Amino acid sequence: MKLRLQITKDRSIRFISHLEYARTLMRAVLRAKLPVAYSEGFNPHMKLSLASALGVGVVSQAEFVEMELKEPVPPAEAAQRLRKALPAGIKVLTADAVDDHAPALMSVAGGATYQVVIPATDADQISQAVGAFNAAASLPFTKKAPKTKAGVKEIDVKFYIPHLEAELFGGKLVLRFDCRITPAGSMKAVDLVNALNKQYGLALPVELADIERLDLYRVDDLGRHEPMLAGAR
Amino acid sequence: MTKRDYKKEFTIDMLSAVEKPARYTGGEFGSVVKERADVRIALAFPDVYEVGMSYLGFKILYHILNRMEGVAAERTYAPWVDMEKLMRERSVVLTTLETKQALAECDLVGFTLQYELSYTNILNMLDLGGVTVLAKDRAEDEPFVIVGGPCVFNPEPLADFFDLAVIGEGEEALPELVTVYKNWKAAGRVGGRTGFLQAAARVNGIYVPSFYDVTYQEDGTVQAVTPNQKVAQPVIYKRVVRDMATVDYPTDPIVPFMSIVHDRIMLEVFRGCSRGCRFCNAGMVYRPVRERKPEQLRQLARQLVDNTGYDEISLFSLSTADYSCLDPLLDGLLKEDFKDERVSVSLPSLRIDSFCIDVAQKVNSVRKSGLTFAPEAGSQRMRDVINKGVTEENLMDAVSAAFTNGWKKVKLYFMIGLPYETDADVLAIATLAKKVLYKYKEVTGKGGAMITVSVANFVPKPYTAFQWAAQDSLTEIKRKDMLLKEAFSRVRGINYQYHESKVSVLEGVFARGDRRLGAALYKAWQQGERFDGWDECFKFDLWQQVFADCGLDPHFYADRVRGEQELFPWEHVSPGVAKAFLANEYRKAKLAQLTHDCRHGDCTGCNVCQQLGVNVVDYTGQMPAVASSTLSAAAEKVAPAATAAATTAALTAKEVQPQ
Repeated sequence: MKLRLQITKDRSIRFISHLEYARTLMRAVLRAKLPVAYSEGFNPHMKLSLASALGVGVVSQAEFVEMELKEPVPPAEAAQRLRKALPAGIKVLTADAVDDHAPALMSVAGGATYQVVIPATDADQISQAVGAFNAAASLPFTKKAPKTKAGVKEIDVKFYIPHLEAELFGGKLVLRFDCRITPAGSMKAVDLVNALNKQYGLALPVELADIERLDLYRVDDLGRHEPMLAGAR
Repeated sequence: MTKRDYKKEFTIDMLSAVEKPARYTGGEFGSVVKERADVRIALAFPDVYEVGMSYLGFKILYHILNRMEGVAAERTYAPWVDMEKLMRERSVVLTTLETKQALAECDLVGFTLQYELSYTNILNMLDLGGVTVLAKDRAEDEPFVIVGGPCVFNPEPLADFFDLAVIGEGEEALPELVTVYKNWKAAGRVGGRTGFLQAAARVNGIYVPSFYDVTYQEDGTVQAVTPNQKVAQPVIYKRVVRDMATVDYPTDPIVPFMSIVHDRIMLEVFRGCSRGCRFCNAGMVYRPVRERKPEQLRQLARQLVDNTGYDEISLFSLSTADYSCLDPLLDGLLKEDFKDERVSVSLPSLRIDSFCIDVAQKVNSVRKSGLTFAPEAGSQRMRDVINKGVTEENLMDAVSAAFTNGWKKVKLYFMIGLPYETDADVLAIATLAKKVLYKYKEVTGKGGAMITVSVANFVPKPYTAFQWAAQDSLTEIKRKDMLLKEAFSRVRGINYQYHESKVSVLEGVFARGDRRLGAALYKAWQQGERFDGWDECFKFDLWQQVFADCGLDPHFYADRVRGEQELFPWEHVSPGVAKAFLANEYRKAKLAQLTHDCRHGDCTGCNVCQQLGVNVVDYTGQMPAVASSTLSAAAEKVAPAATAAATTAALTAKEVQPQ
């Protein structure tokens, strides 16, 4: 069976890298003595994968991990064993089991919900910018793409993020939005702030952006959001 | 950094801007967070996180201290230069990782002295942590700064900066010290700082530098070290654990998020080494050899694997192949305990001979990564001078066995600048390395061996036979390096690696330095010197200038031959080894005579067991009783050049395990 879990990356450990996070999970699986499967071959590796890579510094309520087990373990029991084996900054929220042939969790994510909190004061300027963003048909942005030849890539921010909700209080701007994930990729939440700065002349301090992924979800044929896992909390 | 104005938080932009931010955020599995405690002690490692987290001593002390009621042991590391810059710009204080206490808010701050080149980091961490750098200026409410670790056997260059030192093994001494502190604090800090230091000085193995006055002769050498307090003993002998089975070993160590230098289970099979290499400080200060039983080690291994999720166990000691029960231990671990699990076993230091190649096979059956041997010197004469006791035949047998069994890469460790070394001895390094290269062709019938020759500069250390010797001067080291470069030029298949000579000079100065060096440390630190052990940070010219400004001559400390009668600055702090024994070893070095290992043979008269009331613990045969001979009798009993060492000794193989 495949065990699927919704887990967190809490504030306290937000700065560990994706690789470090994945390795921490693997060690926790060993500590929990879950009967995890390994690949064949000369250098076997644990059959464990994460649904979507999270940027360093981003907090998450919605990390999804999938692992293949050699023998079935009730998801609730597996979750309980893992809870004891995980560091305080990773919590298990939901657990679910699917059969080995179910499509990889990685391929089914259709979008993510983010919250970005960032210092800001000029309420008028911000509400104008957010209004303009929501009304715009497109917003071209040149993002960094280190793996490509050019090193940059042209994207349309509005394709990924159709709508923004914004609140300003206590000197902080709180942005909430859904961001589309396609088989060809997605965009980083921080690039939304970069794009707003560039397009609307805002001077939001990107380096202080406190970013949190609130949810990750599937999108059905009608565009409705569906939870990644069937299991209840 | 003054106490009033500091902030504690690493903000998002700071952590985003530095490399490896996980160094600074803690929260690892196994870390112990105690919000409330009567005594909070920061275990401070004066280097970056990934280096400090690999240190077994702090794993042990963290575990032992946190098991004490009301005591919280926490960790702190030197921030790398990128983070330090941000911290200073924004007045962010250095805190512990667990409860984010500024060092200034802790009761005790304990630094480990692992190597001399980390000393500036200690000053820097104190300052970043809001603690007054100079001990004499520390206010009543500031923490006490403690040092310990291998370099504590000459703590004098740091005497201006620490309040007290734990000499020797900390498993028993530190809990005693913490208890004394707890009582002093609970009783209302009786007698102030001095009151605590007086109480601490009554604990065996505790050294309080301010309780001693040092006077100097006209020639600059030490005239006398005199206690100025009743409680101060003339000599502080090290603390030593009599039986390793009686002290607690950490079975639930912290499992870090980020990769650290030794990212595996460290299982200490025994402590101490009595091979008696004359250059080796560890071989003298960790005496005697005390083994753990294989049954206990297997139990510990089981718990460690279960508790950490690590899949590799390193059998740790100064020379693991010397463990009397290595074979049964390896068989127990590999063929029984973990035979159905993906757990591998590695040996960090393995003396290689034909027996050990079997061990290498056992622990490394699939991948054939490099083997590392440490002949230490090129010529037989030189290896006898240093009492390495290894022959060329041993090395050739070892590499033949390795090449026959599929190894292709061999790394050879050597030193240059050893006492009584001639150019012929230096060039013998190249000859020996070439023989190893040709051996591959002879054994395999083809070329393609990859030999790395790594040459370090010898630095004389306190409490070794060579503590009287002059370190080679910079020009001499460079000349010998040129000799080797020339000898290796146009030799394909040998990669010659050479260590920075200027760093060795600084190491040499502080290794055998005295209290007067504190002024230079302070000044160099003020001028921005830190991470001296890191090439990108070390500034030799700055140090030269600092020594000149302080009226100190580095040559006096590093490359001066010390007189037979000279009183050394470190003699009031002792691992128990007799000076007469070391002097005799120095004489035997000149004659290239060997001294055997006392572990399986007669007492060689170093006097550690007699002085400290401990025994060699080795499970091969019976446990020898404490010798009752007096110091002078023991020194006279020194065995004539024994051949036992030559027949049993072999070579050290570091990192048998693949990458």
